[in-house]
Amino acid sequence: MGLKELENKSIYIIREAYAEFENPAVLWSTGKDSTTVLALCRKAFFGKIPFPVIHIDTGYKFKQMYEFRDRIADEWGLDLIIARNEEAMNAGVGPGDGKFECCTKLKTEALMQCLNKHGFDALLLAIRRDEHGIRAKERVFSPRDEEFRWNYRDQPLEMWDQYQAQSEGQSETGIHTRVHPILHWRELDVWEYIKQENIPVNPLYFARDGKRYRSLGCEPCTSPIDSNAKTIDEIVEELRTTKIAERAGRAQDKEKAFMMQKLRALGYM
Amino acid sequence: MNVNVVLVGHVDHGKSTMIGRLLYDSESIKDERVEEIQKLAEEYKRRFEFAYFLDSFEDELKEERTIDTVSLMFKSEKNYYTITDVPGHKEFIKNMLTGASHAHVAVLVVSAEEGVQEQTRRHLFLLKMLGIKEVFVAVNKMDAVDYKKERFENVKAEINEVLSSFGYPTGHFIPVSAMEGDNIYRRSERMEWYEGPTLIEALDGVTVEGKEKPLRFVVQDVYEVEGEKIVVGRVESGILRRGDGVIFEPSGIRTKIEGIRVFEGELEEATTGDCVGILIGEEVKRGDVGGTVEKPPKPVEEFLGEAVLLGKNLKKGEQIELRCGTAKVRCEIKEIKEKIDSETGEVVERNPDEINEHDAATIVFATEPLVIEKFAEIPELGRFVLVKNGRNIGAGVVLDANF
Repeated sequence: MGLKELENKSIYIIREAYAEFENPAVLWSTGKDSTTVLALCRKAFFGKIPFPVIHIDTGYKFKQMYEFRDRIADEWGLDLIIARNEEAMNAGVGPGDGKFECCTKLKTEALMQCLNKHGFDALLLAIRRDEHGIRAKERVFSPRDEEFRWNYRDQPLEMWDQYQAQSEGQSETGIHTRVHPILHWRELDVWEYIKQENIPVNPLYFARDGKRYRSLGCEPCTSPIDSNAKTIDEIVEELRTTKIAERAGRAQDKEKAFMMQKLRALGYM
Repeated sequence: MNVNVVLVGHVDHGKSTMIGRLLYDSESIKDERVEEIQKLAEEYKRRFEFAYFLDSFEDELKEERTIDTVSLMFKSEKNYYTITDVPGHKEFIKNMLTGASHAHVAVLVVSAEEGVQEQTRRHLFLLKMLGIKEVFVAVNKMDAVDYKKERFENVKAEINEVLSSFGYPTGHFIPVSAMEGDNIYRRSERMEWYEGPTLIEALDGVTVEGKEKPLRFVVQDVYEVEGEKIVVGRVESGILRRGDGVIFEPSGIRTKIEGIRVFEGELEEATTGDCVGILIGEEVKRGDVGGTVEKPPKPVEEFLGEAVLLGKNLKKGEQIELRCGTAKVRCEIKEIKEKIDSETGEVVERNPDEINEHDAATIVFATEPLVIEKFAEIPELGRFVLVKNGRNIGAGVVLDANF
């Protein structure tokens, strides 16, 4: 799809979510994908995003991510909610406890607490089908039960653009729906769009001393790739020819087989 | 050009393997993924399979079958493809329909060993209902029948019979082996008797039609931005121009497009697929559909549709919800004219009191005022889903109405 087509489809999805749910929010890691989703939301609503933006803070993020977050939140006038699992953080949970445990506690549970507190019935997320096999199986509107579980064996019928939004009483029962506005985008599309639209990105994506981050997560579990791409143009060029997977530098996907599926079944992004 | 392709066919006829092979031979798979699959195959003591690129659920690997649909993108020398794999089991028809609903063309995968099976027929029937007109038939597993022309010809004759019974023109047939890579991306040297295109050559020859249609703008919402009311929605068909006289139904509002607005500013016109805001100085609401005064949309309160049911049952006289475009209306199953076997496409009962899971039927729906179109004319507004207790339980197309 061309960028225009991708953008149209995403805006359609965002507006559908806003019309169908009572209390939506968008998740923002400050990475390239979720920043693109914020840019699309700004377009969909003519500048002002009419719902909160949630940032899950594990305490292990890169310093540059926090700086970037606060700058953009200010520039774009975001209604920013910072979600932290204080209890786990105080107990000292970290990657040393195992990546599965750490991601579940500091990310999934932090998000769960935030959702319960604010009663959100829909969450916009910037996952893409081409990132990971398990994400390729997602629906655009994807329900989660009160325990956050993803029933991937019985996903809704989702034909044409008729997404299943069961909104009534969702926030009361603790069920929510994940909404995926850029599910149909590829990594290269995101960068081409960032370039076209002049979307701000975290400086960690650009190469320094022959290395750059291709996917951003928590500092201890994210490693850079070898690259000399110092500009968006150079990143686009690199992606056209690379044979390395995007999440190659993300440790939590790889600890063991089907790790990502297990994380996601429990409500991971 | 972007082409959306869906692979359909009976379980174990090799759909996932074929897509894995297409991705692998077109060099669309990252090295790391290949290594990951090799490792996984070892761990689970299995032979390396191309299907594992697609079947990413642990259950899928254990059960050796596809459970849910998956879409992957790759590029040939000519086109960008989104290729969709769907499960071949009857119990996952819901996932098959989800995957097939965005396709421009289909590849029917049929095993040269087994020929036509239950899901071969059902998938073809459903594709026909969804309006997918072009079907390529990949006669797979030719390696298992020693690449014999005779076997290919037999399967071809068998499939042609099914195709014509569903009203399809004669299909395009390609003898392939997804496992060995014959005639998928590379021309096979083991079937010199075959002179037609490889699968990728056949797909590269596809043209996605763009028929001229009247304007239909579906309303998603109305926003107030700096004191101004902006009606947001999508141009489903035709062209929207500033200054056009328009009518919105079922609200029955006649007005003029005073402005077309996007975040960046004003537009003179918007074309099919564009999501824009419009200024019309009138109150319309979500579910309304706009068209020009010359060719306006016409609301109906009754129409004839063909639908397939994925929920438990549907009874004559039952009240359910129906969604078309952004409209959600209450409707009644006024009359079930014919119950159709979704495997054979044959009418099995006239005027039944109910239909059951996986049945298709022609149904007269009585609805709250609703803008729909004949599927054959404006497909974007000629298809609908049926909703019961908040769940999508069926889907269908509009055959006719008293417009």
